[in-house]
This record gives sequence, C-alpha cells and structure tokens, in this order.
Amino acid sequence: MKADKDKCIACKRCFPYCPMGRIQTFARHDKIPGRIYIEIEQDACTDCGMCLRAKICPVNALYQPEEPWPREVRGVLSNPMIEFLGSQTPGRGTEEMKTNDVKGTFLPGEVGVGIELGRPGIGAYFRDVETVAMALMKANLGYQMAAENPVTHFMSDKKTGKLRDDVVNEKATSAIIEGKCKLEKLPQVLKILQEVAKKLDTVFTVEVITKVPPEGEVPILPVFKKMGMWHSINSKNNMGLGEPHFKFYEDEK
Amino acid sequence: MTHSLHRRGTRESLSNDFVVLGCPATGVNKKGSAPKTQKFLSICYKHGPINLGDMKTGNIYNTTMDDILKRVTDGTIVECTFDNREKIVSLLKELKEDRPGISVIISGVTDVVQQCMTEAGLGRIHSLEYSLGTWGNTSRLPDFEILQTVTMCGHAMIASDLVRKMVRDVKRGRRTIEECCLEMAECCSCGNYNVTRGIQLFKELLPLYSVHSLY
Repeated sequence: MKADKDKCIACKRCFPYCPMGRIQTFARHDKIPGRIYIEIEQDACTDCGMCLRAKICPVNALYQPEEPWPREVRGVLSNPMIEFLGSQTPGRGTEEMKTNDVKGTFLPGEVGVGIELGRPGIGAYFRDVETVAMALMKANLGYQMAAENPVTHFMSDKKTGKLRDDVVNEKATSAIIEGKCKLEKLPQVLKILQEVAKKLDTVFTVEVITKVPPEGEVPILPVFKKMGMWHSINSKNNMGLGEPHFKFYEDEK
Repeated sequence: MTHSLHRRGTRESLSNDFVVLGCPATGVNKKGSAPKTQKFLSICYKHGPINLGDMKTGNIYNTTMDDILKRVTDGTIVECTFDNREKIVSLLKELKEDRPGISVIISGVTDVVQQCMTEAGLGRIHSLEYSLGTWGNTSRLPDFEILQTVTMCGHAMIASDLVRKMVRDVKRGRRTIEECCLEMAECCSCGNYNVTRGIQLFKELLPLYSVHSLY
C-alpha cells in the first residue's frame, strides 16, 4: 500500500486501521512548501488492503499498486479478498478439516497439524516460516505438507521445507504451514514446535485436527494431557453433513 | 484456513459465540455447488445470524444479503455468526432434515456444540480442530482484553490500535459503543465478527483503558 504524496495531507486517520501497527512516517513535500505527507514503510506493510477498504482517507490518497513478483505474495496471503488460485480455496489456507466428512483428508490414526505465523497483528516474514518448516522436516517425523497450501507452493524443496530464496524476505499478515502426520508422532512434532518458538521474533498459533471416533475419547486429548499442554475450550467442528459421505470405517453406514 | 478457531475469551463469553461455515469440497462436490451454498446461506439467514458473509464479497454490514447470495459461485465458502445456542439447535434441526449437501462446520465451545448436535438429533462431532494457543514471542501481543476482540476477525483485520482509538472516541463522546462495533464488523469482511459479543466485550474494556494519545 502506498500514499500518494501529492494528495496525502498527513491527517493520520488511516493509522489506527493498520493491522501491523504504526508503520507510517512523515515526510516533507519537495515541491509544496509546508506540505507534509505520510510514507508507509514498505517492508512492514503486508498489502492487506485494510486501510483502503476502511474508506477513511478524506482525500483518496491511499492506493494499492500492482506489485511484481515476489512482493505480490504479500497481498495474496494478507488480503482476504484475494484468492490463491493454487489452493482453489478462498483465504490463505486449505479446506483442511472443513471437508473431512467428504474427502477423508484426516483418517483415524492421523492428525492434522497447522502452524499459523504472524497472527494476530504482528505479521511474519517468510524466513520465519522457513525456520519452522525446516525444523519440522529436519526432524524426519513423517510430517506431510499439504500440497495445495500456498506456503507449500512457495517451497523450493518440499522435502526440507526450504522456501524459494526470492520470497524469504517478504512479509504476510499471517502464513500457515499445513500438513499431517501419524498420531504417535504428534508429541515429537509439538516438541519441535516448542523449541523453534524460542528462536522467533514473531508469534504462531498451533492447531491440531483429528477425526472423532464414533465412541470413546477424542484421540488427541490424552496426548495434550500427558504433555501438560493447554488447549482451547472452543474448537472447529465438522458436523458430518456433507455428501457424499466418506467411509472411514468398514462397518460404517 | 483456521480463521474462526483462535477466538480468545472466557467460557462465559464464548458460550454464545458460534461461527457456522458452509464449505464445498474441491474435487468432490465443488462443481455445481453454488445452488447448494445459496440454499445453506438462506437456511442460516432464516435462523437469525448476527453476521453473515463471504470473504470475497463482504458481510451484511458492508453489503446486502442479496449481493452475497448473488455472488455465490461454485467453491464459495460462506460464514454465518450466531449469538445464542437456541438458534444453533434450531438451525441444526433444519439442516439435518434438509441437507444442503456441502460440508457444515461450527466453531464454538466444544461441549456446547456437541450438546446442540445432540439436541438436534445429530450424532457425535465428525472431526474437530483444537487450538493450542499462541506460541513464540507473545510479549508482542496486545493485552488479553483487546485480544478477545481482535481475534474475532480470523484474518486479523481488526487492528488493536483501532480498538484503542475507539475506546478513546467513546470516552470522549464522539461515538457510541454500538457504532464502534458495527465499524469493526465492517473491517472483518468474512462476517465472523459477533456484534453482540463485541458490544459486551467493549463494555468490559472501557473501564480498563484510558487512551489519551495514540501517536
């Protein structure tokens, strides 16, 4: 996002709308005496478009230029109005468990593990994303990246989790690593994430997906309990109403 | 996409906070899904959501229901936010009898969602996703009271500075709490912002903050 210096009057009305915080500086116009305008720090801006959508600028100075590669990845991941065509899903992730009832993405004995970096309100550079992805893959725990996820798409080596060199210094409001592994590997995956969390200057949320069996305990809960790990009281829950229904068990109706 | 998962709050606050999503599946039922998604949206609308939208079109606070319905295409994911459990039970009863065919997902307090399903005659939750919280340099996060509000927008489009500015505006008599919450609903284009909960959280936030200068 940029502010047109010939229009901007430095009224500051757009400042509080920025999810990245105060990333604007003041500058003096070189041709109009006494005229001050704002400059948006381009490295900190994720091109999410929130300030523009807020329609707060009284002089229409804000504009989003068409960005070339690799900067265009900022908008793709940060602006909710833009769809990443590689995933064919609106948003910055995949369908993950939302369609598990018809696709069988996560079978009994498997868990989905998602790591979303940068949210809320801090943002993440792709070099941070790479640090997490490479730590996960280096541990050789059978963590399988979701192929249709945008972050996976930006990897130059999906086996090591290495991202393309030209995107690592780009920044997004948030970027999600999505994948799955066997349930028995979940404690080790979470330990890896605990270790890598100490190395980052940003934040990440961790989410774990499981198929709920028709009877008995939700399989991931004993793992959390054993590890003394906090989990939310709220969850995202698939109702199983999608059609055609994926058959998870032999005796399933 | 996990944008309705990481809502922060107490059990009391989250117990009347539900995001219902309708999602077609790529490669399975996405082709030709637009009428199914429109039907799902219309059913949800009948049960009185506090917010409703689609991230690529916007929500009912920045466009109209007709516009949202009209712009549904194959693959559109729609989201409806509800502010009480009775509405969820009646919605699930209808969806059980008149299945739209696409996947239906509800974000909410797990045991409350399960109770609603049981009351509606549905079985157990099919699959679920838990949040394990926020890790890393959490000292950079805003206070929990502000986090409760900003995490209602899963795309993190409600800036913590905006909440602080609104606190200042309300304290200076420039705007009402309701006006502030409606503007926050506009920022969250998917329609995940629960206006009823937002107003309650804002009331709780006001005595805690005194914002004289932001910049």
